[in-house]
Amino acid sequence: MSLEKKDEYDHNGWMKTKDLSPVETAFLTTLIWLDKRLRIVDYLELMENLYYKVNLQMPKSHTEQYNLDNKFWYWYPLYTLGLFSTLAYVVAAISGALLGFYYSPSAAAGTEAAGTVAYESIGFIMRDLQFGFMLRSIHRWAAQVMVAAVFLHMLRVYFTGAYKEPRELNWLIGIVLISLTMVFGYTGYLLPWDQLAFWAGQIGVEMSLSIPLAGEWVAQLLFGGFSLSQATLQRMYILHVFLLPFVVTTLIAIHIGIVWVQGIAEPH
Amino acid sequence: MTDDTPNRETDAEKARADGSGIVAPDDETPTWRERKTRTQGLSQLTYEYFERARREDQDLRQESDYVERDVLAFPTWPHEVIRNLAVASFFVGMLIFLSATLPPHIGDPANPSSTPAIILPDWYLYWSFGLLKLGPLNPELSILGGQKLMADRTYGVLANLVVVGFVAIVPFLNKGSARRPVEQPFWAAVGVGGVLFAFTISVYSAKNLIPMNLHLLFDLTFLVPIVGGFVTWAVLKTMREGYMYDLNRRYYRLRPPK
Repeated sequence: MSLEKKDEYDHNGWMKTKDLSPVETAFLTTLIWLDKRLRIVDYLELMENLYYKVNLQMPKSHTEQYNLDNKFWYWYPLYTLGLFSTLAYVVAAISGALLGFYYSPSAAAGTEAAGTVAYESIGFIMRDLQFGFMLRSIHRWAAQVMVAAVFLHMLRVYFTGAYKEPRELNWLIGIVLISLTMVFGYTGYLLPWDQLAFWAGQIGVEMSLSIPLAGEWVAQLLFGGFSLSQATLQRMYILHVFLLPFVVTTLIAIHIGIVWVQGIAEPH
Repeated sequence: MTDDTPNRETDAEKARADGSGIVAPDDETPTWRERKTRTQGLSQLTYEYFERARREDQDLRQESDYVERDVLAFPTWPHEVIRNLAVASFFVGMLIFLSATLPPHIGDPANPSSTPAIILPDWYLYWSFGLLKLGPLNPELSILGGQKLMADRTYGVLANLVVVGFVAIVPFLNKGSARRPVEQPFWAAVGVGGVLFAFTISVYSAKNLIPMNLHLLFDLTFLVPIVGGFVTWAVLKTMREGYMYDLNRRYYRLRPPK
């Protein structure tokens, strides 16, 4: 032991005393360089903690304990409906982002006799845009399949009693998610601004107007007035491509996160 | 720095001696106190951490490969990942196939001055649209001279809220550990009734397209779910005996009574 007091912070000197591979040397050099500036070791402790948590081994699941694999996994297609809806959501998001490049939410009169700019931009996507017809088709089918998968997912959860304690909270989030999925579908249904869209929008306005006390306020907030106009289309568009994606994506992440933490509910 | 290191160590020792420290799952996992004390030497901590992590990982792998695991969970790799990939590619393929074979078309442009004969939302909102047409069920109060308490359309919106609200509170009504439909015939019957009602009310939402007596259609909308629910209940009650017998037999074979 030398009499000279050691410099605790001489990391390079400390590294030389170790027998390190080039990769490790590079890694440690980078780590030390970053740490001197960002104090990342404080966060590494969090990572370390996470590491031990993640590597905890799970106890045997009910299925494994009672050797029910063949009985349980037979029903796997029903247990993957949640994955299906998530996948459909991702497909719809990608194709939707591509469609968004070409769609314009304007109810102003178009160049042709009866159409609006929004209606004609759909026409452009379907007729003139390379691969556009397929793109719209994919977006629409992804939406349809997502809604169907979400409904079936809810039925699976109901009939296997998967909503029971401790999963009530996730059931409630699921209710919110299925409702928002339908709002997603509804707002998207209105965007082409054809006859179906217009009159479905009319029903929406009447529904919100029929809410006691707050009806007119809700109609103005969601539809931008008591009759359909440019404001309605604009609001549906913003709901569809801006507000709902953020909210729904966050909720899906929480929903799946809770499933991850709580594990799959198997029928007993 | 060097002065208080021994103190802290004795502290840790003391804490462990009287048994008040956090109990680590096993010898390898550092206690919180140990993790804290190691923050002193920055580089040392990092190096030791990665060393430990690697060793820990290796130990875990050697102890539990998926052939002979003493403690099990379904392995994510390769089982779950490959199955999910297969299912996912099949699913995306199905989506693309559907899109290619059945592309959507677009109707006439919006025209506020001509109301079409058929106004319908997308199929998944038919049930909600049907609930808006429940006017005939809206009670008339004789005390108000046959007036309705609320407008029909308010009643319809309220019906939507009631349905969604009921579905939401199911976990707080149906408690207990029963999971399979045979174990809870009543709730399975409620579920089947609900599904049937979703279908019948969807049909009712397009009542002007159904070639049927309107009153009969309205009655069937409510009768079919009730009858279907009752049949489900009866069938499950009948099946229950045999099912529970099988379940119990398997259970007692695994854990014979003492």
